[in-house]
Amino acid sequence: MNGRPEQFSAQPNELLVERLRDGLGLTGTKVGCDTGQCGTCVVQLDGRSVKSCLLLTASAAGSRVTTIEGVTERGGELTGLQEALRQEHGTQCGFCTPGMVMALGELVENTADREAPTEPEIREWLTGNLCRCTGYHSVVRGVQRACSAARAELPEEIGEGAAVSASAGSAASASASASGKEV
Amino acid sequence: MTAVTGDVPLQGSGLLGQPLDSREDPQLLRGEATYVADIDLPGTAHMAILGSPVAHAKILSIETKAAEQLPGVLKVATAAEFTGVMPLPCIWIPGGVESHFPPHPYGLPGARPVLTGDTVRHVGDPIAVVVAETPRQAAAALAAIAVEYEPLPVVTRADEALAEGAPQLHEAVPGNLNAYWTCGDKDRTDAAIAEAEVTVELDLVNQRTINSPIEPRGAVGDYNAATDEYTLYASTQGPHNHRFLLSALVLGIPFNKLRVIAPTVGGSFGTKGYLYPDMALVLLLSKALGRPVKWVDTRTGLMNSTVQGRDHRQHVVLAGTRDGRITGLRATSYANLGAYPSTIGPGVATALMGRSISGMYDIQASFCEVYAAFTNTVSLGAQRGSGRAEAAFLMERLVDRYASEIGMDPAAVRRKNLVPKEKFPYDNGLGWTYDSGDYQLNFDKAMELSGYADMPARKAEARSRGKRLGVGIATYVAICGVGPSTRMSKEGMLGGTWESANIRVHPTGEVTVTVGSASTGQSHHTVFAQVAADELEIDPALVQVYEGDTLKAPYGQGTYGSRSYSMAAPAIALTARKVKAKLVKAGAVFLGVPEEKVVYAGGKVYEDGNEENAKTFSEMAMAMWYGWGLPHEIEPAIDETTHFDPPDFNYPFGTHVAVVEVDELTGETEVVAYTAVDDAGNIGNPKIVLGQIEGSITHGLGQALMEAAVYDEQGLLVSSDLTTYALPRAADVPFFTLDKTTTPSPHNPLGAKGAGEIATVPPAAAVVNAVVDALSDLGVQHIDMPLTPEKVWRRLRGEAE
Repeated sequence: MNGRPEQFSAQPNELLVERLRDGLGLTGTKVGCDTGQCGTCVVQLDGRSVKSCLLLTASAAGSRVTTIEGVTERGGELTGLQEALRQEHGTQCGFCTPGMVMALGELVENTADREAPTEPEIREWLTGNLCRCTGYHSVVRGVQRACSAARAELPEEIGEGAAVSASAGSAASASASASGKEV
Repeated sequence: MTAVTGDVPLQGSGLLGQPLDSREDPQLLRGEATYVADIDLPGTAHMAILGSPVAHAKILSIETKAAEQLPGVLKVATAAEFTGVMPLPCIWIPGGVESHFPPHPYGLPGARPVLTGDTVRHVGDPIAVVVAETPRQAAAALAAIAVEYEPLPVVTRADEALAEGAPQLHEAVPGNLNAYWTCGDKDRTDAAIAEAEVTVELDLVNQRTINSPIEPRGAVGDYNAATDEYTLYASTQGPHNHRFLLSALVLGIPFNKLRVIAPTVGGSFGTKGYLYPDMALVLLLSKALGRPVKWVDTRTGLMNSTVQGRDHRQHVVLAGTRDGRITGLRATSYANLGAYPSTIGPGVATALMGRSISGMYDIQASFCEVYAAFTNTVSLGAQRGSGRAEAAFLMERLVDRYASEIGMDPAAVRRKNLVPKEKFPYDNGLGWTYDSGDYQLNFDKAMELSGYADMPARKAEARSRGKRLGVGIATYVAICGVGPSTRMSKEGMLGGTWESANIRVHPTGEVTVTVGSASTGQSHHTVFAQVAADELEIDPALVQVYEGDTLKAPYGQGTYGSRSYSMAAPAIALTARKVKAKLVKAGAVFLGVPEEKVVYAGGKVYEDGNEENAKTFSEMAMAMWYGWGLPHEIEPAIDETTHFDPPDFNYPFGTHVAVVEVDELTGETEVVAYTAVDDAGNIGNPKIVLGQIEGSITHGLGQALMEAAVYDEQGLLVSSDLTTYALPRAADVPFFTLDKTTTPSPHNPLGAKGAGEIATVPPAAAVVNAVVDALSDLGVQHIDMPLTPEKVWRRLRGEAE
């Protein structure tokens, strides 16, 4: 659990999100619906983002679980993705934010050495997470910014891809400014 | 109270208008913010609420013994337990007309009891509560409560509730009619319609929608027996208002014995400003059990109990000339208030909608009548853009229908009827007086930015791909800045609607700002610090903002109707001016020059013409704290408060253009481009406002395309979770093209107008206009929302609605 071993016994019907919030006090993971639709409870299980309200605690035994508390130190420096979301103000009420950071973290991680995801790909990836405040626009811009920043840091041998991504990044910021930076 | 007019110029350091990063964001991104569900007081017990499974029935008996014996159960309570508790009051009744309500002992329009004892009136009507050691135990015990019902007939539509022989909901409300409310000039409008060259009519259903903040509501009650004080933590957008309503009008305890704290609130869009039974129940049960009591709603619970929005059935008529001049407008609306009057629902359904119907147009004769009725559905309340969105929808659908009837371009009809710039302040004849605006400039900008002139070519291109391209325009005026207390009293609002702010300057030069407002995600800590720092011309890092706690902040109404930046922010700016005035007065003493020779600028006081003779803000703060050498008439320390009650509302406005592509084969509608030019006056932080505009438009698109609260004939809410109630997801929306115009409001010292929800007002009309445009060659004149693929597919095949 966030890099530390945790040992406990769980009821057979206990959901992972209950263990996280009520059992371990990791309240960064949120509960927004009863049906696995909203994505506020997303955590990472062995590096893959999953909805912790659809998973029994017992089925996570032996796996690496990362919650939002495992992404940054309390009060500590933000990751590249979080920083990009901050710069684009990809939050408002913030209730969906931890789930989004966990889901998008997987996308940004896994595409860092490949072509940056396109805008439709980012939107498709985000369909598991509901947000009622932002309409997703600032979140999508944040991911575009994070992906181009992540690729800019890559070593020389994949520099060509990085150049593509940089231009995708500037296209992203052009689209962002067309979409109303001035408002 | 401070009355302000527009002759006070905008002052400050130029910090306002800058896109400062939100200081709330880092803790939100790290998952560290505390929402109600995250509060864990020592010894907390957990409450669950049993809601009625049927829409209308007499309760014959409730058996709770089995539930009481289950593991962990501490208490099971029914209505009999709370006979001394008053019903939750309604405080916004339609002004100036006779209204009928279930009674409240204070002579106020009453609403629902905290628990229902005799008759249930909607699915989810709360009947009993369980308190247990864990949330699971509490929820499990609900299933062991046996309730015997005698079913009563059900009605879920406002128009049907008013028909002869309809099921009756409340003894005190004959015929289910809460109020028949009108505005405008009926005779003049009837005459305009009778004499018109052209009239067009539409029957519209503005469907019921569910706001669906992603955080469900929650409440924690904590009674302290030693001091006889109550603390309520709740997901509320108006902690002070909830304190007043709960203490005096529900619990019957002294106002100053209740403290209400809003922690971080996970979205609201209007719904969390209402008084709900759970807020009273956690306090009463905490006292009864001697432990903190916590309740957190589920999504299905939210959908069956938190106020819902819109829900008007309308017949609307527009009169005009053959060459496109609108001469009359008449609307008849059946508004569905649900089973009980919510805290302000009846006002939303009448004044907020009716007085807004003419929008940006200069119409000499208009009239609106609303029949507000009770039905067996969840109570009606506000919803992002409430009232104004329903008004804009009917007007903008009518304008397109009229343009099509006279064969004129819809843009040209609109341009011809906009209120001209020289007519402000403009009396719209329906009860609102628009403060300021340049509608032509705004409209033209939107037409240009959207490429409106190129649409014929784009339509032809789309056709070659099997898509029908449609374009829809919608304009709007949104009343904001609620509000001037006297004006609101005439609308039937029972309570002051002013806002307050306090500024305390500490000896070290740091500044604390406290406000009555309460954020539900609008970065108040960032923006309000920006306002104070701008006015005082100091570093915003020195300013800390507190809100959402009735013990810390002065009184204030809270956040709703896009009022924080045009109500609380002006209160802060005016308070900062009091601080500066005091520093100038005291500066004269410390600088040793007459007061009229003292200047406050750049965060310091100095002698005019001799900037060497100066004291910085922090030096003054320390000197004022010591208070040494001050003459008797100047009090030491710096602690100023303002109660801001504006002379009138403010009226943001704008023009939106939606471009859609309808798939001929599937009926699916895709929004391919969306342009919005909004005018919210002077904007404090454009980065924050941009996010609100984008979210608002997306919310409006949701109503147009997919959202609907669906009740079946038994009154069961069929769309009661997020698998059956569709919300827009990231792939449903493109990036928008946004711009603004700026017409400052003369009604507050910042020239601000409401912004947060205004862009929710026109999108539904813009999208429906666009889809009707795409289908116009098939003879389609209107389609009711939501425009699901099936509905559009049927119309593509010539089926009638």
